[in-house]
Amino acid sequence: MDILQYALRRLLAGLPLLLGVTLFSFTLMVYFGPDKTFELLGKNPTAQEIAEVRHQLGYDRPFVLRYGEYLRELATVDFGNSDSTGERVSSLLARTIPVSLALELPGFVLGNLLGIALALLAAYHRGRWPDKLIMGLSVIGMSISFLVVIFVFQIWFCTSHGLDLFPVRGWGTASLADYLRHVTVPTLAMVFVALGYNTRFYRAVIVEEMGRDHVRTARAFGAAPARLFWRDILKNCAIPVITRIVFTIPAIVIGGALLLETSFGIPGVGKAAYEAIISGDQPVLKAVVGLTTALFVIALLVADILYRAVDPRVSLE
Amino acid sequence: MVVVRAAVLALLLVLAGCADPAGPAPREAADLDGNASIKTFRYSLDQAPSSLDPVQAANVYANHVVLNAYDTLFAYKYLARPYQLKPNLADGWPEISPDLLVYRIRIKHGVRFQDDPAFAGGKGRELVAADFVYSLKRQFDPKNRPQGAWLWQGRIAGLDDWKAAGSDYDREVPGLRALDRYTIEIRLLRPFPQLLDTLALGFSAVVPREAAEHYGRELGTHPVGSGPFRVVSYDSSRVVFARNTAFRQEPVDLQAEGYDPATQRYTGVERIQGRSPPFVDRLVIDFASDDASRWNSFIKGNEIQVTGVPAEKVDEFLESYDPVQLKPDYARRYQVASGLEAGFVFETFNMDFPEFGYNPDPERERRNKALRCAIIKTFDWEARNQSWYFGLGTVFPGIIVPVVPEFDPQLSRTSVTRDVAGARRLLRENGWTAENLPVLVYGQSAGVKPRMFFEQFRAQLMDIGWPQEKVVLKQYATFGDLGRAWKESRLPIVSKGWGLDYPDAENTLQLFYGPNGSPGSNDANYRNPEYDRLYEKAAVMLPSPERRALYRRMNQMIIDDCVAITGLSRKRIYLWHKNVVALPDREIVGGFFLRYVDVLPEGESARPADLEPAG
Repeated sequence: MDILQYALRRLLAGLPLLLGVTLFSFTLMVYFGPDKTFELLGKNPTAQEIAEVRHQLGYDRPFVLRYGEYLRELATVDFGNSDSTGERVSSLLARTIPVSLALELPGFVLGNLLGIALALLAAYHRGRWPDKLIMGLSVIGMSISFLVVIFVFQIWFCTSHGLDLFPVRGWGTASLADYLRHVTVPTLAMVFVALGYNTRFYRAVIVEEMGRDHVRTARAFGAAPARLFWRDILKNCAIPVITRIVFTIPAIVIGGALLLETSFGIPGVGKAAYEAIISGDQPVLKAVVGLTTALFVIALLVADILYRAVDPRVSLE
Repeated sequence: MVVVRAAVLALLLVLAGCADPAGPAPREAADLDGNASIKTFRYSLDQAPSSLDPVQAANVYANHVVLNAYDTLFAYKYLARPYQLKPNLADGWPEISPDLLVYRIRIKHGVRFQDDPAFAGGKGRELVAADFVYSLKRQFDPKNRPQGAWLWQGRIAGLDDWKAAGSDYDREVPGLRALDRYTIEIRLLRPFPQLLDTLALGFSAVVPREAAEHYGRELGTHPVGSGPFRVVSYDSSRVVFARNTAFRQEPVDLQAEGYDPATQRYTGVERIQGRSPPFVDRLVIDFASDDASRWNSFIKGNEIQVTGVPAEKVDEFLESYDPVQLKPDYARRYQVASGLEAGFVFETFNMDFPEFGYNPDPERERRNKALRCAIIKTFDWEARNQSWYFGLGTVFPGIIVPVVPEFDPQLSRTSVTRDVAGARRLLRENGWTAENLPVLVYGQSAGVKPRMFFEQFRAQLMDIGWPQEKVVLKQYATFGDLGRAWKESRLPIVSKGWGLDYPDAENTLQLFYGPNGSPGSNDANYRNPEYDRLYEKAAVMLPSPERRALYRRMNQMIIDDCVAITGLSRKRIYLWHKNVVALPDREIVGGFFLRYVDVLPEGESARPADLEPAG
């Protein structure tokens, strides 16, 4: 019951954040975003046609009315039709978000699990060659452009210049094998790039925890390394780990992975959002911004509840 | 270390499990619906269309889809160059009244729309003349956000009034009627010799009213037509078509399609003689904006089967540029073709800027003309061609592009030949100095390449003494924003490309017709009464030597008045797998050739044996 009350309180407290972000982003869209009018006009438009299109796009209406309309759309989760394709925005999101999730989740999970595992190893051997090797490789991973990684992985894994095992372009989820065939190389690329960042972050957290009094004391009492890591270090590292993971989820759900989607021809939400930004497709942009903010509010709440679950000292008051 | 070893081993096991042991050859064809026997052709474009609704088929990308999902009354012959029209859905050529104002077009009987839930019982019905009338009216209904109305505005009797009266589809338009189930009558306000060309565009594709009403704006993602293919799925990455099994049987007559054995036999198109298209079960168009990804997919062998050659691969792949020939190793694996684009790139001065164009002071206006002519003289087209198009483009004077029959190869090339000394002399003789030269704002969309275009342009101007700080780049975040600046006449110089809507010089000459000034297509805001008079005279004439002479006079006026820095037609290079029977071409509307593509089994070659490269 406490948790429910807390959740409701936090959701209400999230409303100003939602209003602030939507107002700020909508102001940017309206006053600084691309003007869609001239993309929707023919090659030889008349002034009347320009006025017609501007009217249909709602550009001729006062800002306050348009923002009010945006809030109504957000409340009803009905953003109308895309200004580019004419597709319902809800259909577009329903079609693309699952693709991005299916594309990114394996890389996200593997990247974090491997990151934690390597961070533990590095921290355990702090200052010795395994630590230096892992940190060195992490820096290399972080230094190489994602685009280069994608390009090289495509050549290595997907073409006859390399192993030629996987498709270069396309997406399929007809069967598990089909899914794995399409998701493997993007996942490897994602893990390669994320692993360096994750490992360094988790190592820093673990090393800090290892220096704490209770860990030193446990060591002095001869606690076994595995037990020490699991009970006294990893558990106490949970809060920064949860923060990092939970706050990445909204970006995965709505943000997608533009580079992966573009390079591998995958119809995810990242590509849809990017195209909406570039073309000024406001119905799609409004949905993406609004839902991302809402997800962040929820992520904040989930993170707080998880903090409490892993550390009883954290109060929900 | 045990943990790391275990992780690596697990990863390798997963990879091995996912990899296809059967090898790459038949895999992708099987991918698309799990049946390896399905004959699939995978084409690629460098951009995705934003909408598949014919009223918005404004570019080559949309037309590639629209023309394969829908039918148009006329089409372009598959192989004839220069491009030639032929009846498509029309049952022969129209009856045209002697005054060229009334067209009666009969359409084929028994053509059916594809099955779709939009129809009663989900069964597609017969396409009739009223469907064409309805489809053209849609271009004049603002609710559809149409982009092609300009082609017929002020030309078809009553159509503009129909729009002004509220676009009521049940109200008849006197100049656009279905006389019976199979006869269309179009009454023009004045002769429009390009009418039939416009009826080959995706803009005029025939849409069933039931689908337009059922899907509303979502018709842009749910095409329902009578074309050779039906769209199975569409997203920003690809469109997948299935063969329309109900498509009319029309055996290919290569002679009628303009086949030239001397230059086209290598494509193997003789194999489709006498057979009815389409020849593949699945047509997939990948929208691959990323060059590297598209290229990797192409060389893989079992994915994209046709692509352009990326700039960085040109030297690696080509034995010679003119004619375009592949190196022997690649010639054994691929086919190649090249052709000039149906369009051009050019820059126009905006004559509404008093610093460069029209000016209330006649003396300043005279000096402005000298200024423009000096800029034209200093512009280095050869450098542009070498820097950006590998020297493959064709530089030509004026605005009549090389692919149209009215092009004059004998025209003086003075306006496209760099003459720095002449430019300096012009400036000096007309009192222009570094101090009084105006600031020139060069608008471009954001990006590295546009920036490099600008830097090259500025460096050339500096050669004639234009101060560096007086040539300024203004970048716009998107192409739409740049378009807005053009249409609102906010830039003194407009740098753009133009793709022909139809192969007639009228399509580029209208770019300088006075009444088309901003926000119309005349971004130069050029207003020359004599030019306008000639344009109006030529616009109602059928092709003839007299019309050609008028076109060329107008072209010369643009050159003499130094209105535009023009021009260059880029060369397209198409590369395709040798088992594909096709002559790819994305110019003039684009996408008509796809219905004629056939695919041979992996390893076979469409090329006749005697034309196979040695070795």
